[in-house]
Amino acid sequence: MKKNIIIITFILFTSAVVFTGCKKDKDNGPAERSISFHLHTVVGNTVANYTSVFTDATGRSFTLSDCRYYISNIVFIKDDGTELPMTGKVLLANPATMKYEIGKVPVGKYKGFRFLFGLDSVTNHADPATYPSTSPLSYQNPNIHWGWNTGYIFMKLEGKVDSTAAANGTPDFDFYYHLGLDQMKRTIDFSTTAFEVTSTEDMELGIVFDLKKVLNGVNIPQENFTHTMDNMPLANKIVNNIPAAFEIE
Amino acid sequence: MSNKITGVLSIIIFVIISSILITSCRKDDAIDTGNEILELQVPTGFPYPDIPEDNQPTKNRIALGKKLFFDPILSRDSTISCASCHHEDKKMTDGLPVSQGIDGRHVLRNAMTVLNTAYQPNMFWDGGSPTLEQQVVAPIESHEEMDFNVLKVVERLKNHPEYPELFLKAYNLEPSPYTLTRAIANFERTLFTGKSKYDEYQYDKNMNALSESEKRGMDLFFGERAECFHCHGGFNFTDFSFKNNGLYLVYADSGRARITTLHSDVGKFKVPSLRNVALTAPYMHDGSMATLEEVVEHYSSGGKPHFNKSFLIQPLNLTQQEKTDLINFMKALTDL
Ligand code: HEC
Ligand code: HEC
Repeated sequence: MKKNIIIITFILFTSAVVFTGCKKDKDNGPAERSISFHLHTVVGNTVANYTSVFTDATGRSFTLSDCRYYISNIVFIKDDGTELPMTGKVLLANPATMKYEIGKVPVGKYKGFRFLFGLDSVTNHADPATYPSTSPLSYQNPNIHWGWNTGYIFMKLEGKVDSTAAANGTPDFDFYYHLGLDQMKRTIDFSTTAFEVTSTEDMELGIVFDLKKVLNGVNIPQENFTHTMDNMPLANKIVNNIPAAFEIE
Repeated sequence: MSNKITGVLSIIIFVIISSILITSCRKDDAIDTGNEILELQVPTGFPYPDIPEDNQPTKNRIALGKKLFFDPILSRDSTISCASCHHEDKKMTDGLPVSQGIDGRHVLRNAMTVLNTAYQPNMFWDGGSPTLEQQVVAPIESHEEMDFNVLKVVERLKNHPEYPELFLKAYNLEPSPYTLTRAIANFERTLFTGKSKYDEYQYDKNMNALSESEKRGMDLFFGERAECFHCHGGFNFTDFSFKNNGLYLVYADSGRARITTLHSDVGKFKVPSLRNVALTAPYMHDGSMATLEEVVEHYSSGGKPHFNKSFLIQPLNLTQQEKTDLINFMKALTDL
């Protein structure tokens, strides 16, 4: 009988090994902590949303109905200059989400970090259907991929704007900015924004993305649309505003 | 019970449980041949097309793709299917200058055939979609065509009385953007055209298959004077390149430049196959030419001097007889 118990114990133990064998043990030791972006998409001093009425730099009012953008190729730079690329990590940012988990990094001092607004060309031309539905690179609804070789829409910004000449009306006129194409990616450089990851706490990096700055110099009612290819000058103008629209909070 | 027997029994039970655990994720394949990888029957003289490793043709996949291709479930209001613009009786085109989609909306361009698309290195007049699989999403999400979203299509398919079972049979997966696009592409790769009078002459060596006029037209077509074959050459009567054939001085549709944004690509379009060309009027990316007579007239005149016009397009000053011969030859490219 004793022997039976030993055998059964052995079986249970082996089964448990079979069950868990494929799962990697996570080492939550103090050598690494998770790091995330705390990303505020704002219009001036207000957190962006799809209900409020905002004003652009010239005082013209507008609303938002879609605001999503890709962030990728995040690299953390350690104090000794070693770079820690977060390979494969892609964020599809939107105003309603503030916290974006990025991964785990070693505890220690960091010189700074950088990331891409948009996607690198390899990622940009992969087939969205091959990603699991939980991936920001899978097909989305509303869509954020052109369905063409041109790839993903790096930023979709849509809403309504006050079209009155005196800018004293209410938002009534559609605008839509669909920015993409390989050449529209931009490196956002915070390589001199030093921070430290301690063993006692997960790290959050506060970042602000200001749509007022994104739309700087854009006369929204006059320049109310671009799908990039069909209005390159406007797409370039908006994209060139983007690096300065990111700030450390 | 002896300890020995219990021990042996326990081991047997362990083996059974383990094998159940290991196989439980795999569905039993049906005993039928629906999931055997098929060899496609390509026309004589054609190479075997490249097929993605993850989407080899099987009976179940082709059947599923065909059902989807003809099903308006893919469009927002369930009125438009792929076949709405790719008619079987018009060699998978629609006979309109530019296609009409949902709510009577006009598409920018003339519908292309989906026959022999297994050979196309990229899709559309501007090559804007890299694979047959990825192409599927473009009409579904185009405002002028089906005006829907691929995730919403997938939701409908998941709630459909038949589709989930068919997807499971074909791909051992549920409906998803992945399986939806694979299935339609799988079906499209089985659509060949390549059995015309010209093929009887060229590949079956039946010297009487072509009339004298058609033969003279063929000599013009493949000759260094008319130069058609430089672009419309090979088994599919296209070299799959992007060229400007001098239709306009200013193109309303910038063509290949829409994808590359290069000035040197303005007004360049994919050289279309000329197989079944007699049945696929009207012609050109915008359907601006109603007849083959008009097309031949265009080439005879040498077209407009656009800055990207190919040097191969020059005035030919064809005689009336030569024009007739050239047209007769193109008509001999219709499948028998
Ligand atoms: C409203 C009409 C319409 C519908 C619906 C439509 N197509 Fe098309 N199709 C077109 C037009 C027009 C083109 C050329 C588009 C271009 O070049 O921009 C085309 C091009 C294609 C091509 C490219 C062929 C080549 O040689 O490059 C394929 C493949 C294709 N369609 C398959 C499909 C499939 C699959 C569906 C259904 C999911 C579909 N089409 C639905 C009108 C339509
Ligand atoms: C420089 C390459 C080139 C040469 C040479 C050329 N073509 Fe074309 N052909 C094209 C392109 C590109 C198109 C599509 C143009 C567009 O839609 O803007 C086309 C379109 C056509 C079409 C319309 C097919 C359809 O389905 O819409 C026909 C027919 C045709 N060519 C016949 C000819 C004939 C006959 C000759 C010789 C006299 C010839 N081509 C020479 C490039 C060429």
